[in-house]
Amino acid sequence: MSTLSPEQWQVLGPYWDQALTLSGEERVRWLESLRTENPVLADQIQQLLEHGLAAEHEGLLDNSPIRRPEASGLAGQTVGAYRLISAIGQGGMGMVWLAERNDGRFQRKAAVKFLSAGHVGYGCEERFKREGAILARLANPNIAELVDAGVTASGRPYLILEYVEGEPIDRDCDKRKLDVRDRIRIFVDVLTAVAHAHANLIVHRDIKPSNVLVNKEGQAKLLDFGIAKLLDGEGQEATATLLTREGGMMLTPEYAAPEQLTGAAVTTATDIYALGVLLYVLLTGQHPAGTGPHSPAQLLKAITEEEPRRPSEAVTSDEVAHAANRGTIAEKLRRVLRGDLDTIVLKALKKNPQERYASVTAMADDLRRHLRNEPISTRPDTMAYRAAKFVRRNRTAVMLTTLAVVATMAGLVGTLIQARTARQQRDYARQQRDFAFGQVSRAEAINDLNAILLSDAAPLGKPFTVSDLLQRAEHIVGRQQGGNEVDRVELLTAIGRQYWTQDEDAAANRVLTEAYQLSRTLVDRHARARAACALASNLARGRDPARAEVLFQEGLRELPDEPQFALARVFCLERGSEVARDHNPEEAITRMQIALRILRQSPFDSGIEECGAQMDLAESYRMAGRNREANVAFVQASSLLTALGRDDTQRAGTLFNNWGLALWGLGRFLDAERVLRRAIDISRAGPSEEAVSPMLLINYGHVLRELGRLDEAWDYVERGYSKARQADDRVVIFQSLLKKNQILREKADLGGATTMLSEAEAFARNHPAGNFPSATFAQEHALLAEAHGDLTSALQYANQAMAIVEASIKAGGPGSEHLTFILRYRSDIERQLGRVEQAASDAARAVKLLQAASEPGMPSGYLGKTYLALGRALQMQGKADEARAAFLSAGDHLQKTLGPNHPDTRAALQLAESGVGSRENPTPSQER
Amino acid sequence: MESTLVSLIEAAEKGMRPATESLFTTLYSELHRLARQQLARGGRGLTLGVTTLLHEAYLDMAKRSGTEFPDRARFMGYAARVMRGVIIDHVRNRQAQKRGGQFELTSLASGLVESSADARELTQITEALDKLAEVDPELAELVDMKFFCGFSFDEIATMRQLSERTVKRKWQKARAYLHRELSVDFPA
Repeated sequence: MSTLSPEQWQVLGPYWDQALTLSGEERVRWLESLRTENPVLADQIQQLLEHGLAAEHEGLLDNSPIRRPEASGLAGQTVGAYRLISAIGQGGMGMVWLAERNDGRFQRKAAVKFLSAGHVGYGCEERFKREGAILARLANPNIAELVDAGVTASGRPYLILEYVEGEPIDRDCDKRKLDVRDRIRIFVDVLTAVAHAHANLIVHRDIKPSNVLVNKEGQAKLLDFGIAKLLDGEGQEATATLLTREGGMMLTPEYAAPEQLTGAAVTTATDIYALGVLLYVLLTGQHPAGTGPHSPAQLLKAITEEEPRRPSEAVTSDEVAHAANRGTIAEKLRRVLRGDLDTIVLKALKKNPQERYASVTAMADDLRRHLRNEPISTRPDTMAYRAAKFVRRNRTAVMLTTLAVVATMAGLVGTLIQARTARQQRDYARQQRDFAFGQVSRAEAINDLNAILLSDAAPLGKPFTVSDLLQRAEHIVGRQQGGNEVDRVELLTAIGRQYWTQDEDAAANRVLTEAYQLSRTLVDRHARARAACALASNLARGRDPARAEVLFQEGLRELPDEPQFALARVFCLERGSEVARDHNPEEAITRMQIALRILRQSPFDSGIEECGAQMDLAESYRMAGRNREANVAFVQASSLLTALGRDDTQRAGTLFNNWGLALWGLGRFLDAERVLRRAIDISRAGPSEEAVSPMLLINYGHVLRELGRLDEAWDYVERGYSKARQADDRVVIFQSLLKKNQILREKADLGGATTMLSEAEAFARNHPAGNFPSATFAQEHALLAEAHGDLTSALQYANQAMAIVEASIKAGGPGSEHLTFILRYRSDIERQLGRVEQAASDAARAVKLLQAASEPGMPSGYLGKTYLALGRALQMQGKADEARAAFLSAGDHLQKTLGPNHPDTRAALQLAESGVGSRENPTPSQER
Repeated sequence: MESTLVSLIEAAEKGMRPATESLFTTLYSELHRLARQQLARGGRGLTLGVTTLLHEAYLDMAKRSGTEFPDRARFMGYAARVMRGVIIDHVRNRQAQKRGGQFELTSLASGLVESSADARELTQITEALDKLAEVDPELAELVDMKFFCGFSFDEIATMRQLSERTVKRKWQKARAYLHRELSVDFPA
């Protein structure tokens, strides 16, 4: 048996993964069926499986050379910089001690919580410390500071917390007999603190009165922020078994949200629910489930199924004590609660997390509005709405399953498109992380399903196209009944965007329109904004820029300038940049600059996001004709992509294509060829040859033509053309006809060239919406006439092209790049007609324009060609020295951009050379 | 040296071999320095594990290097590889000198293997791991983190943004690969 090669490994990988997810008989059957198809592969897999079993049996790698600190009794009286004074309680988690800092200089009290090692889980101490360090940065006056977290010599984890002397908030409010308004004020402080934590991506998960203490100054302090997560050693499993856990160790069922009991994803909305319960208790003195005591089973039923009574209805006439604690009587308390406060509390207590307040800030805003007697943003439930809820509550089980599937598919679409190598799977994990950050929570469990689906996607190594996958994804989403609408919108948006990148505009439009319409029925700002802006970008491509702009503005307005919306705002600005790119490229640049700034200031700044934004910025520069800046931005985006290990993904393909165009615009043809070549190689490495876009093929063909590699150029353009025909991609069809005309002309097949040019013109006539530039036709006719030797017609056409372009520039439109080409062509024609003065003046003007636009010191093929034209005109004028200087410059530029063997380079170098011999009239040469 | 480290990591990611080697050396000495510092501070009452050491190293270097510093997961990947080297060297030194190497890992509450048989096995494992790194660097990194640094599945899952089950499956694969390699070299 020999060592496995990376190639073998890659082939084996998916099968092996699949085998590992099967067990016992299933695996045997699977292996058998694989064996009939591919006995060699089946043998290899079987051997690997046997090695796996043997390794397990022998305990290979079971004993790490690293030994964890051994467990023994509680050691010493000192923990960190603190000396333990006295035990102040035995919490659900473990002992709590009052401690004092004892370095003699200043005194500070702290609470030290010891956790039994079991709560943290063997081997998790370091994660515990690490998370602790993150929490320690959570500075807010209403959050009890986490001073330190660590593990004692005996291996027992501990937390050192700011010591808060105070009462739980409900008891404190009752004790001080605070009225409803004062209770709301203190509660709003709590909300501010929670909002701060959420902005730092920390969810409390266990908000309850005993974790919200009010100190002597009347200041609320939240305790144990993020501790639940810290202790959640085994991840997902922990939430699912909440009720079976002994003694309610971490979470208090009374304050648990439905999703915590059913094992669904815990998010910021979970905290909002708990805050809703807390507010309910503060206002009414009762739990939403009614007066206790409740058995766990009763609570579970109440929390997951029963609609809570309105707070105002909970206050009955015999609730004298509760009303008295609020400085009022029951009747008055009921009146105060009825209306806004009922609405606010019930909104926070929705069973479906998506229907709760979108953020803690939104909840706080409503409460502040209430305090100011302003109308609140939330509408009360109507009867119809409540009836709908009744149906929905019986569907919990269904909803949970579909949620998992939807989220899985969302990941799948993102993945499979790029899933080619093992490395990309790791990228995918990062992508997933970004996604999770974006939603602040999204379940991690999804990854696992994705991993399985990944091996499932190519079950027996059958090739599949991106298009197949997208159709499959669309189909699955389409069939889903009920489920989470926000997820559905996000998923449709993701699928639509993928269609968009595949240039499948019609499919993109269909899916994005559906996402947009569905999003109108939702309140989730992310989903609304993203759906609007994704559709906007697609509409701009379909040439409805006005409506696209309106949609973009509409989307962006949904998103307040708050950290949790940063990624969504970046997404919208990117789409807005795409919208503006064609008709207002400067605005497109500005939008991307803003997006990059937001991204860099946000907590979500990741290489992937930044790379995407850089690419969009670069492309905006390019569209604005600012190729120099575009090139700089492309270089940056490319190095980011390399750093991410993603320089062979489809995104890299796009980057290299666009970058190639920028280099081509700069007249750096050899560089453009290299970069476009890479784009093609990347696409080819995909599932099939199909993946190479026709646009890329003709771009490459065009650069090859510039380099004088006419046969290859023809081959690529021809392939691009037939693909574009199949896909009815009009832009590409038109461009390839033009390119075919140019190539044939340069191959001296003038008949063929004429046919192609007429075809292009006919095409433009039949598709008038295309806005095909008429200057191009005039220019191509000029060149064709010149090739025929009909110089008079050629000049007429050139003048015509010139007039069109100059008019466009005068009107503030595009064409400045084009101007230099036409000047150069006209100079050549004029020179051959003997109009030497005009020829020299046109060429000199073009040189000046090109010099202004190009980077000093960087070679440009266009400059080289124009110097060549100038030299020839000067030579005819008898200005031998100036001509020689021009030829030398031409040779220099052309050598670097077209290579030493290109006919133009050779001509320039020869002319410069012969100029030395034939110099008759030595005058000082003019330096340019 | 911080900026050097950042650029070394970049270069190493591009696959430049000299960069990979000097990255190794740089991290190696950095971990040494930190370990000595921790010892000097006196571990009375509190012990320091390898994972803590790596974590501290990360915080320390990231703080000095600013935003350009790679993310924690990436850093840990490199550092875990280095830590493997540290441990292997230590074990070999131990055997050679019996006086202990300059880097006293044992004082870091990491009771390292004592017997020479174990040391030989470790050497074989690290050779097989190098081969695994060629076919699937991610799996090799997983073994470095789990076996040589003592990270738990859960910690690795958190760092890699994978589910624990996925990490465990990868671990199964890595272990099977190593078992296969070890049987190739030493047929039973």
